Amino acid sequence: MEKEFIPRITSFVCKWCTYTGADLAGTSRLQYPTSIILLKVLCSSRIDPVFLIKSYLKGADGVLIGGCHPGDCHYETGNYHTRRRFKILTEIFSTLGLPKERLRLSWISASEGPKFAQVSNEFTDKIENLGPNNARENMFL
Amino acid sequence: MTKKGVKISLEKGLQNQIRDFFKKGLEKGVFDAVILPVRVPGKDSYAWILMNNAKLIDQANPVPPVMPVQGAKALKALTRKGNGIINVATIMRSCEIRAAIELSKLNQVNLEKITLVSYDCPGAVPMKGYNRIPEEMEKSFQNALAGKDFANDKMKEVCGICVDFANSPADLHFGFAGMENDGILFSNSDKGTAILDTLKMKCSEDDSQWKNSVNIIKEQKSKNRIEVYKSIQPEVEGLDNLQTTFAKCIGCHNCQSVCPICYCRQCYFDSSASKQTADYLQDKAKNRGGIGFPRDKIMFQVGRMAHMSLSCVSCGQCMDACPVDIPVAKIFSYVAAKTQDTFEYHAGTTADGAVPLKVYKQDELNKIHELIKNAEPQGSQHE
Repeated sequence: MEKEFIPRITSFVCKWCTYTGADLAGTSRLQYPTSIILLKVLCSSRIDPVFLIKSYLKGADGVLIGGCHPGDCHYETGNYHTRRRFKILTEIFSTLGLPKERLRLSWISASEGPKFAQVSNEFTDKIENLGPNNARENMFL
Repeated sequence: MTKKGVKISLEKGLQNQIRDFFKKGLEKGVFDAVILPVRVPGKDSYAWILMNNAKLIDQANPVPPVMPVQGAKALKALTRKGNGIINVATIMRSCEIRAAIELSKLNQVNLEKITLVSYDCPGAVPMKGYNRIPEEMEKSFQNALAGKDFANDKMKEVCGICVDFANSPADLHFGFAGMENDGILFSNSDKGTAILDTLKMKCSEDDSQWKNSVNIIKEQKSKNRIEVYKSIQPEVEGLDNLQTTFAKCIGCHNCQSVCPICYCRQCYFDSSASKQTADYLQDKAKNRGGIGFPRDKIMFQVGRMAHMSLSCVSCGQCMDACPVDIPVAKIFSYVAAKTQDTFEYHAGTTADGAVPLKVYKQDELNKIHELIKNAEPQGSQHE
């Protein structure tokens, strides 16, 4: 019998918005899949594109970045920089024919618990459709 | 818009003309020292030397056939800890100037007291070829220079696709492409104009002839560029091809250490943060059926693209330094063209402004998260 595919989604979330949003989703007893693995960072601009590349190459099926809505950054401008960096990374992924659909950026504020649950569900569905990341089995990566 | 420049005679050769210019500048005190490439005693390479006497300038070769050390790195070494009190002038290839400009935007080079001079670059001979037969290469480079040949096949591959060979924001520029027996020296900045004024050089020559011939060469090179990008695309398309291309990488990180733009004093990929424990690796090997060493070859390359491709000037140093002949420079040039286009940025070609990752606009990329959300799975490898 084939093993059921449960995606692993590495999620880098900002402490001030998305992490608190995830907390709210939890305390509101909203359901979201276990595929989401949260990593708390102080600001979404802390996320070096290398973190995402590393996650993808080490076998994460999806990589999610969660940050404050533009204009709401706790450090005022951090997420504007995240946005540009993310754009560069998706550009590199599409140039090299790597699956950029495995990357996702979402703005989720601290009060948007339901949105966090929705994004988690949606993204997990999408990754389930995409299937497992073939980099996971690769010996040379 | 046409510019006026100083007419210079090339009868004695471009090198002598440039030497004379620097000697005159030192004499009149417009700058106190110069950094020029001098051939090393072994005659198989060049080194950047900071000098202030006319005799040494005679030994220097301002237009060397090779680029062993990217000029921007020499400037970085000089001004890393701030400016000195003296004014320094230097002459470099367009890619070196552009790298220096990028580094100054990244606060790694201080150009306040540096006068940058450039010239129409016919390309640089790959270091590997030069090492073996320096005299022959020297001769063929001089011929290319004298014959104003900008499509010489002895040069680095990326030089053949360089559209900025005569386009850099240097203070002064020696132009000679497509001109008969003389060249034109013109200024691109206030600093350059002030120097020409002090040296009492009259700007009387029109630059339209030079500009036209530069544009013709540029067009040809743009065509080559498209061809090369087309040929490199299948080599890096998809994880499998990417891996095949970088399969021979020995993980020496030469490409990173010679890169003028890679300025971090401790690279993430050399740091202990990127190294793993034996437990982790053994676990990985168990899950994957085996793992290869050196680790993280693709991560290093793609990570470097994410870090520096916005400032990549396509100088080709990485490819020159690669001991296993991976076409690194072509791949980086291809990727850099894409990422720089995203922000309509052309690394190093303008002296003002900031690098795209340092600035932002409030109202831009508004759809970026939705875009990714709606992207349909594509490509066969994931189906």
